Amino acid sequence: MVSLNSGLLTVLQFADSALPTGAFSQSMGLETAINDGAVNDEATFRQWLTHFLHHQLVPADGWAIRTLVRDDADALTVDAMLHAMSLPMEVRDGNAAMGRRAIEIARANFPSPDIERYAVAVLGKGGDEVEPGEFRTGVAAGSVPVVIGLFARDHGSGWRDACAAHLFTSLTSLTQNAVRGIPIGQNAGQRVLRSMHDEIETAVRRIDGMTDDHVGAVSPALEIDQMRHVWQRARMFMS
Amino acid sequence: MTGGLWLGVQRHGERNVVASQRHHGGLRLLRPLYLDSSGQPCLTVVNPGGGYVGGDRYELGVSVGESSSALVTTQSATKVYRTPGQPVEQKQRFVVEPDAVLEVVPDPLIAYRDADYVQRTRATVARGGRLVMTDIVTPGWAPDGSLYQWKSVLLKTVIGRPTGALIAWDTVHMAHGAYRGESLTNFSVSGDLDPHGFAAERTHLGTLLAVAPELDADAVEEVHDLLVEYEATVPGSRGGVTPLAEPRDSAVAAHPQVRETAGLAVRLMGPGTGPLHELLLDIHAALRRRWGHKTRLNLRKY
Repeated sequence: MVSLNSGLLTVLQFADSALPTGAFSQSMGLETAINDGAVNDEATFRQWLTHFLHHQLVPADGWAIRTLVRDDADALTVDAMLHAMSLPMEVRDGNAAMGRRAIEIARANFPSPDIERYAVAVLGKGGDEVEPGEFRTGVAAGSVPVVIGLFARDHGSGWRDACAAHLFTSLTSLTQNAVRGIPIGQNAGQRVLRSMHDEIETAVRRIDGMTDDHVGAVSPALEIDQMRHVWQRARMFMS
Repeated sequence: MTGGLWLGVQRHGERNVVASQRHHGGLRLLRPLYLDSSGQPCLTVVNPGGGYVGGDRYELGVSVGESSSALVTTQSATKVYRTPGQPVEQKQRFVVEPDAVLEVVPDPLIAYRDADYVQRTRATVARGGRLVMTDIVTPGWAPDGSLYQWKSVLLKTVIGRPTGALIAWDTVHMAHGAYRGESLTNFSVSGDLDPHGFAAERTHLGTLLAVAPELDADAVEEVHDLLVEYEATVPGSRGGVTPLAEPRDSAVAAHPQVRETAGLAVRLMGPGTGPLHELLLDIHAALRRRWGHKTRLNLRKY
């Protein structure tokens, strides 16, 4: 029997890929790989997604959640590091856009002192009055994994569960984008996601073993695709 | 420490000179050369031992004072031999003051079979300062000719402002064959995602990081055009360029509508040292032209 005091419903609401952060418009370089023909069916997409999990999410988002929850790291330091690690502009801007939406939703629905402090840092004091789409004035960029990490701290969830939830949500969003973008069938998308369960367990073990030296060690091949996306002629996605 | 070299460059009239110099153990500076009429000294760092072995620790520090300029290079490729115990560690510390220029264009890294190499670079660039850094990682060397036989190559570069605000945090970690395992790597040497991974003709990795007030969206477009040209003439090459963001410290928050660019980053994969090196020099030439240095660097080493 699941205890609802464990924050399960909070996790279900916040880790839902339907949370309106705009993840549906971010391909994180997948669209470049689709455009070049490197990703063109279920099998090549599964390969791409596995690569993305281990060589993008693990060394960036995974590390961030671990260090916030386990080591009680400072949210603004982690935010600044994640922002500086995202060399490709569209990834940096995409992560910041999703992060700003996430902290707005968190502040409105799951308030806490830490969430409020981060919201002020990201959105500025007048965050609510800024028109949608306008550039915000905070000193922090905004980051979904930082919000997840703060949640996990507030609700006493372990960093491993918080990581697994965030990694799986990220993969779900990208799979939905792949279903539309490649395209592949919805059933193929579900098969890929099911096959990611073991990969996520491996990913969490790898995050556990990360040293400071490995922080931000994302894949150069992925970075190149992410940098190239902005010059692609027809684009469905913002990154 | 196995070797250390710390240099301070200052402007003296039309020329820039090494005003302070300190060294320790096996790292030396060759007599500075002036390659063109710009007054910029070319500082060549030499490791008389020829190559790096396990447990070696080196440190290179270069600071360029206000309005001064220097180019730093190496005499030959950085060769890292078999490293059984502790990794070879190279620390680099660069400080660029306002209106100064520091260009760091070393020879490529050649990691031999079972080599373990860690390079940690920390650069502090004042607003108005200009920094260009390049790196080339070759697939290494092994007796049987197979590629990527090293244990691990880790290049960690952090660029920030004097306030501590971060501009770029770049970690390139390449470990052999560990993609499916527990250890961390961002580089699958088996080329698991060909043609997007490293495979076939795409064996070398090049990186250029640059920070300068002149590097705007137009500079990024110019570099992109150079990449397109390069890819059309060098089979197997593939690259990307992106602007780097000015950190959101208080100075930026005062002008919220301006999304400031601090510089740019280039990542390249290509078929060999020669073409990659030439392209990085072409990009470097395009960037330095923007602050009035009109000559393309020619080190006459290849």
